[in-house]
Amino acid sequence: MPSNPLKLTLCGISLQNPVIAASGTFGFGHEYAEILDVSRLGGISGKGLTLNGSAGNKGMRVYETPSGMLNSIGLENPGVRHFVTHEADYMRALGPAVIANLGGHCEEDYLEGAHLLNDADIDILELNISCPNVKAGGMAFGMLPETAADITQKVKAVSRHPVMVKLSPNAPDLVAVARACESAGADALSLVNTFLGMAIDVKQKCAVFENVYAGLSGPAILPIALRMVHQVAHAVTIPVVGMGGITSAEDALKFLMAGAVAVQVGTMTFADPKAMLRIIDGLSDYCAQEGLDNLQQIVGIL
Amino acid sequence: MAEIIKNEPIANGIYRMSVFGAPLGRAGQFFMLRVPGALDPLLGRPISICEIDADKGETTFVYQPIGRGTAQFAALLPGQQIEAQGPYGNGFPLKGGRTVLIGGGIGTAPMLQLAKELRKSDPARKIDVFLGFREEAYLEKEFESYADNVTRNIGGYVTNDVDFALDATYYACGPSVMLRAAAKAADEANASLFVSLEKHMACGVGACLGCTCQTEHGRKRVCKDGPVFDYREVRDAI
Ligand SMILES: Cc1cc2nc3c(=O)[nH]c(=O)nc-3n(C[C@H](O)[C@H](O)[C@H](O)COP(=O)(O)OP(=O)(O)OC[C@H]3O[C@@H](n4cnc5c(N)ncnc54)[C@H](O)[C@@H]3O)c2cc1C
Ligand SMILES: Cc1cc2nc3c(=O)[nH]c(=O)nc-3n(C[C@H](O)[C@H](O)[C@H](O)COP(=O)(O)O)c2cc1C
Ligand code: FES
Repeated sequence: MPSNPLKLTLCGISLQNPVIAASGTFGFGHEYAEILDVSRLGGISGKGLTLNGSAGNKGMRVYETPSGMLNSIGLENPGVRHFVTHEADYMRALGPAVIANLGGHCEEDYLEGAHLLNDADIDILELNISCPNVKAGGMAFGMLPETAADITQKVKAVSRHPVMVKLSPNAPDLVAVARACESAGADALSLVNTFLGMAIDVKQKCAVFENVYAGLSGPAILPIALRMVHQVAHAVTIPVVGMGGITSAEDALKFLMAGAVAVQVGTMTFADPKAMLRIIDGLSDYCAQEGLDNLQQIVGIL
Repeated sequence: MAEIIKNEPIANGIYRMSVFGAPLGRAGQFFMLRVPGALDPLLGRPISICEIDADKGETTFVYQPIGRGTAQFAALLPGQQIEAQGPYGNGFPLKGGRTVLIGGGIGTAPMLQLAKELRKSDPARKIDVFLGFREEAYLEKEFESYADNVTRNIGGYVTNDVDFALDATYYACGPSVMLRAAAKAADEANASLFVSLEKHMACGVGACLGCTCQTEHGRKRVCKDGPVFDYREVRDAI
């Protein structure tokens, strides 16, 4: 039997393909498992968790923009303990690599959360220091190299799982943050989280979101996300997982060529729940057409 | 993917679209409709099932072109394809006995399939329908095939026409002002009332948490746990 040209290893974990459901866009897998064959995915990153859970933000939470959307969910989630006891095993049974996305409001939250996740059968801990939608903490940790390195190093010291740090495109010097996380021991990096944006209701003369600013995702951000992935992949030696507006196999290939070993798909799943399956099929076709033994051969060719 | 059979105006600014090939749902459920392959607008638009013709395999939607997405739907022609993802949501619970249906504006649409299912479940039951419109009525005739009485109100408060003191189950869908008035009246009369809620949605399946609302039993997703709720549960979200 010919070997699977899409397979790869990420943080020592074997993935059947490089297409991962992005955090916050796939729940813990239940909902989409009713609609599509989720076992075909490379991985699933679960909804961003916080230590004690959260009801999320008030008011409008999702708002469409040209070829994209703004969200202000505010990390509504059931908390790390609930995940460990109720969701982790379910996610494991689905088949794809299991990634737990951990957010926090302060250092203690992150460390206690990482500690509790040691009891869960997950493959990778995705350290979310880039959520723009929570008032305290969240993105703050990801804005500067010093704070990003500090939290990365501390979580690494606590966690038994590989740690992939999810970076914010809103950092003034993203490459410096990426390098700092690498030096602090990160096993991988994922980027980008959403761009801080804004919407105004002109009729009502008010901001659409109660938090005023919200996170922009979808095809509209692709060119900027791609540039950032390219810059970061050239600056570090650890694996980079790229995302931001991917809608097709062609888009995924752009991120791989820019240096990402795998991709995540978020917003497009909302528009077309089967988008990731199309992308996986498209990547297989590409390998056949190009005569590639393994798709990883095109990673970082640019 | 579904094929458009018919797509035409039925009143000023109101369209009716029938499609073939969408999985058949039930009253109160909705579809995320989307022009195939479009990246702008990107997301599907939640549109309720207005009527199902199970024999023909057709689902009918009634919609109001108010923005970019729905305006795109209005331009589609018979024979063209539309992505109809769904059916999503819980749908209306079909209760026994007498029923009263209250629809306001475009909220009348899901009430038609409800009337149809209620009639089918019990040919002898009493079904009263109250429809409220701002300027022009639509779907009135269609309701007459299933309801005992159809009362319409143009320009006023349709809830004022309804007697909430009957031994009946009440169902309501419409603008928040109407739902709030219905909830208040149901409180006073201690009536049983189910409401269908509307929220901006991204996924429609319960994954993004963009549409959650506060309920008596914690936060719930309007798209997945709803859109139909016992009004007492979602009093603060109406
Ligand atoms: C469960 C449910 C059932 C619905 N059933 C019907 C129906 O049968 N017929 C009908 O005409 N309308 C219905 N609506 C409302 C309909 O979804 C919106 O009018 C439509 O999404 C507007 O899209 P647009 O692109 O024309 O407007 P835009 O203003 O351009 O839309 C921008 C964004 O806001 C969202 N949005 C705007 N208005 C609403 C709204 N009132 N509710 C939810 N999202 C909104 C859109 O989905 C889109 O993501 C329903 C809404 C829900 C939640
Ligand atoms: C509704 C929504 C919720 C999100 N929630 C999270 C989250 O909990 N944790 C996280 O790290 N990223 C979250 N994200 C960011 C996505 O994982 C992803 O980084 C971003 O949307 C860019 O990818 P896309 O353009 O493919 O959506 C969320 C995005 C959206 C749209
Ligand atoms: S629209 Fe995504 S959870 Fe309801």
